[in-house]
Amino acid sequence: MGTNGDVKIGVYVCHCGTNIAAKVNIKEVVEFAQTLPHVTIAREYKFMCSDPGQELIRQDIRELGINRVIVASCSPLMHEATFRRVLEEGGSNPFFFHMANIREHDSWVTSSSRQATRKAQALIAAAAKRVFFHEALQKNSVPVNSNVMIVGGGISGIQAALTIANAGKKVYLVEREPSIGGHMAKFDKTFPTLDCASCILTPKMTQVASHPNIELLTYSEVESVEGYVGNFKIQIRKKARFVDENLCTGCGECTEVCPIDIPSEFDEGLGMRKAIYRPFPQSVPNTYTISRRGLPPCQATCSLHQKAQAYIQLIAKGEFEKALQIILRDNPLPSICGRVCSHPCMSVCSRNKVDQAVNIPGLKRFVTDRLSDYELPKPERERKEKIAVVGSGPSGLMCAYELRQRGYKVTIFEAASQPGGMLTQGIPAFRLPRGIITDEIERLERTGIDIKLNTHVGIDISLKDLKKKHDAVYIAIGAGVERKLNIPGENLRGIWGGIDFLRRINLGMHITPGKRVLVIGGGNSAIDAARTALRSGAEEVTIVYRRSRNEMPADQLEVEEAEKEGIRFYFMASPLRFLGNGRVTGMEFIRTRLGHPDESGRRRPVPIPNSEFTLPCDGVIVTIGQKPDVESLRDRLGLALTKFNTFVTDPLTLETNIPGVFAGGDCVTGPDVVVNAMFAGKKAAISIDRYLNRQDMREGRELEGPFEPTFEIDTEGVPVKWRIEMPSIEIERRRTFEEVHTGYTPEMAMEEAARCLACAGCCDCQLCSTVCEAKAIDYNQKDTTLEVDVGSIIIATGFKTFDPKRIPSYGYQILPNVFTSLEIERLINSAGPTGGEIILKNGEKPKSVGIIHCVGSRDIHHNRYCSRVCCMYSLKFAHLIRERTHAEVYNFYIDMRAFGKGYEEFYDRILEEGAHLVRGRVAEVTDVALDSSEEGKLIIRVEDTLIGMVRRIPVDMVILSVGLEARPDAEEVRRLFNISCSVEGFFLERHPKLAPVSTFTDGVFLAGACQGPKDIPDSVAQAGAAAAEALALIDKGVVELEPNTAWIEEEECSGCQTCVALCPFTAISYDAEKHVSVVNEVLCKGCGTCVSACPSGAAKQHLFLDEEILAEIEGVLTI
Amino acid sequence: MYEPKIVAIFCNWCTYTAADLAGTARMEYAPNARIIRVMCSGRIDPQFVLNAFQKGADGVLLGGCHPGDCHYQEGNYKALRRYHLLQRLLEQMGIEKERLRIEWISASEGDKVKKVIDEMTEEIRRLGPLEIAETPAEQKPAVAAS
Repeated sequence: MGTNGDVKIGVYVCHCGTNIAAKVNIKEVVEFAQTLPHVTIAREYKFMCSDPGQELIRQDIRELGINRVIVASCSPLMHEATFRRVLEEGGSNPFFFHMANIREHDSWVTSSSRQATRKAQALIAAAAKRVFFHEALQKNSVPVNSNVMIVGGGISGIQAALTIANAGKKVYLVEREPSIGGHMAKFDKTFPTLDCASCILTPKMTQVASHPNIELLTYSEVESVEGYVGNFKIQIRKKARFVDENLCTGCGECTEVCPIDIPSEFDEGLGMRKAIYRPFPQSVPNTYTISRRGLPPCQATCSLHQKAQAYIQLIAKGEFEKALQIILRDNPLPSICGRVCSHPCMSVCSRNKVDQAVNIPGLKRFVTDRLSDYELPKPERERKEKIAVVGSGPSGLMCAYELRQRGYKVTIFEAASQPGGMLTQGIPAFRLPRGIITDEIERLERTGIDIKLNTHVGIDISLKDLKKKHDAVYIAIGAGVERKLNIPGENLRGIWGGIDFLRRINLGMHITPGKRVLVIGGGNSAIDAARTALRSGAEEVTIVYRRSRNEMPADQLEVEEAEKEGIRFYFMASPLRFLGNGRVTGMEFIRTRLGHPDESGRRRPVPIPNSEFTLPCDGVIVTIGQKPDVESLRDRLGLALTKFNTFVTDPLTLETNIPGVFAGGDCVTGPDVVVNAMFAGKKAAISIDRYLNRQDMREGRELEGPFEPTFEIDTEGVPVKWRIEMPSIEIERRRTFEEVHTGYTPEMAMEEAARCLACAGCCDCQLCSTVCEAKAIDYNQKDTTLEVDVGSIIIATGFKTFDPKRIPSYGYQILPNVFTSLEIERLINSAGPTGGEIILKNGEKPKSVGIIHCVGSRDIHHNRYCSRVCCMYSLKFAHLIRERTHAEVYNFYIDMRAFGKGYEEFYDRILEEGAHLVRGRVAEVTDVALDSSEEGKLIIRVEDTLIGMVRRIPVDMVILSVGLEARPDAEEVRRLFNISCSVEGFFLERHPKLAPVSTFTDGVFLAGACQGPKDIPDSVAQAGAAAAEALALIDKGVVELEPNTAWIEEEECSGCQTCVALCPFTAISYDAEKHVSVVNEVLCKGCGTCVSACPSGAAKQHLFLDEEILAEIEGVLTI
Repeated sequence: MYEPKIVAIFCNWCTYTAADLAGTARMEYAPNARIIRVMCSGRIDPQFVLNAFQKGADGVLLGGCHPGDCHYQEGNYKALRRYHLLQRLLEQMGIEKERLRIEWISASEGDKVKKVIDEMTEEIRRLGPLEIAETPAEQKPAVAAS
């Protein structure tokens, strides 16, 4: 190693007082060191890090020409920087230095003195071998960005932000919640001075908001952190608050109309807030936020996206008129839908997880029944374009309404003598009274829609003519042609098609299907036909279905009603032939079993051989489905058809192959439910409107229609409450066409509506936007990501309180009147849910209160540490409760920790005031009384360790002084910022004494309780310290980087590029011209992964050369 | 009593710091492990391990951050791969696999440093000193001479 010249090593063994010297035989170690090769001098000293110790080294460099230095003392993480500086001062390159860690790794962890001495010798031998290879290195320095990011807007974050901003530096203050303030904002008074928390906090919060150097990012979270000290790149996600921060004036009008009540997080669930809210009146920023999980499941699944949660919440509050207005926004046929909708909304209702879905259609029906004289809005302007709608079923009606609302002149052509299509012809009156249909259609007509009855397009007017006379045509002729069984005997008398049968009866004919009637099929039509048959003179009606009950497509509620009415079901039987001579007298069936699922996902019925049987009857109604009657249009203008005889349309626009002609509903989809037919009508209307305005019909329409719910809620703890059944007429009366269900009373409706869990938070009723004069509400707001460059980061993410449910014997949430300390803070606070009244759950003032200290702290089952604040806040409660309620107060403590300034005096004061202090850990809180004095009380059972006996103390109220814990997501935050957590989960400081606000990641500092439990004065002091660290970094302007980067020797590199793929920082690139890999020194962070992977040994790392490490290995093994 | 020699190579950010913490907390453990610091467990070259055995180590302990926690993103995964490779190699060389151990120890797990070093010392004490067979090249002439 000629380049290293004549190596002269100086070894300096530190006593560290007695820390090392008491265990390691220093003299022996020094003697050993002297024998090592190249060692010129070996010395010992009491404290090498002290000035005289340092001077020893400088002097030897100067006088003895020492050019390698080994200090055997503490960890290099502690003093490496110190001694490198000493070398520099002595005139040597600072990197000709190595530290042997004989304190943390030796004297402190070894029991035997002999062994510790030997270990120290080995470590020094290793160091001596290593330093031989050390090279002179230069530190690189990079400029420091003067911006600082502070994460967490509690008192620590606020204090640090203000300190740095006042020094003229830019601060980004990121807070997850809608307001800054943290825990301190919840407190009423602060110990020991008893000054009001908000009085001292809110001015600071306001300062933050108005400070020109602070950019406040509330309701925001840090997404990613890249870079290194001085040069961090941060991605911050600003969550959508659906209220424009720049426009909102904080007037609060919106909360007056919001129907949603949510337990207030700020009031610890003791009070309620609205879905649009600010956490507390002094919130900073003074901006409202909407709690919105997404579209409520009921609304998402509805093809029309009716705002079910919204109108249900309004019904629950008795606001029926508002509910109706919400309903009418999306549905012009609500009274019909309230009765016959297939309610997909109910199948996704969050309430299903608890008990049963809310009766959503029933509630809609209630509103339309109660306020039945409503009107639909009239169009705001008139347009000259004319539109023809063929068919007056739900699809045609919806399309006509949507177009009429946009001002078009709409004419509906209906072949039948009555409007309504399948609503009128297919659905029996006992489910949907004729008067309801008439009312709804007349309402539509009053908006200016013209309905031409008895006008069969294709016979009375040709489709060609229609197209010529109108600007657009919507075809919604439904699916009215009966499917046939195609089995022998189908032409016998007494056999009816289901639709034919229902249509005749619904249009007013009096026919009797027979006395013993069989109904073939399992859909809603089968149930309707069976129930209609029962009301038309049949005595015995049996539904025969070829699969089992589970596969029946009919609405289960309707099936139950049919059963109640006496209709019989015969499952797993498939028809073979009709029997009879002229008139049907019976039917032959074959039994089936369920095979593999078919395309519809239902299991296919498979006939069981030789299982034929017959059922006698004198009438049969066949309801096995319908198909569209496209033939009836005669001249079809060349409209394309599918193989199922339905119209071909563009699924996005419903336009047919002929421009200007649209089709939808059953004639496109085949038989389907009312709400989907209406959806098609609405969709077609949007297309027609765009068509007539020459706009792109397709743009942005992919998301129309139903979609899966986007969230799920946790329903744990929601009490079971079964659905309120809608009253119906007695079974005996169900032989006429009187409506079966009579509808909810207002009380029942409100009770049923109150079952709604308001699972989405905001229900999308949009009432708030109607009262917001600043027009600040924006329901379409999206999360945004913002990137900022900062030089340093202060983490001040705070703590969470211990959850006392983990100690069941204290009865929290089991016994009423057991509160946590944070709940009491809110109860005492005059801005809290009770206006500052300390009251029991029954509203009375407590006469005696027990305060249990150390809940979850100093407890081997939970947290072993002391939470440091509980003793003092418990004493504060003792004072405040006595002052406000004159109750007797008992404090149960283990030890009184009154260590801060003025704390002991505060303790004395509380004692003098007459609070009872009982020393002992409480065993349990119970409501089991042993005598009359304990009746109706909470009894605290405790061993009083000062008098040495177990006591039972009855009180009215128990306060659990819960400890402080790390936040549940500390682990994720730790990874985000590349810092460490201590065993308790709090963030780990670089050194518990000497670097309490630094972390192991340079440029990342800690403030407040995220580092460990702390009271307000300590948090503020630490915030100041963290700010000072950040400012020191900025003031210096540059950071020196450890020169431990990797490099590649060109001559040795084979160009294999193994290293290129390994580098996590993409610092290595391949120079194709020279056929070698090259390390970008600026990007290299010095991990050395490439070095150990290089097959040719061309990659090397400064400070960790192969020679150096191998020498060290050899060295530790020498003794 | 036989005192095995263990070379411990620890990463700077997690395991070395944990060893410092064990010291600060005065956790006494076996003096047999001598700790060498590298910046990242990804820097641990298989050659270091082989060299240690060659120079007289009875065991080698590698320490890095927990998976997902690496200060340099994924150096510890690289170390783990090399560890598996080494295990196969050592087997072929007739070195018991217990003599090489890899552990993820975070900066707060001082107690784990103590536990691992104590365990490993015991394990190797049970195995006895490492005896590497003479290289075949040196053996051959001996056979020929006999």
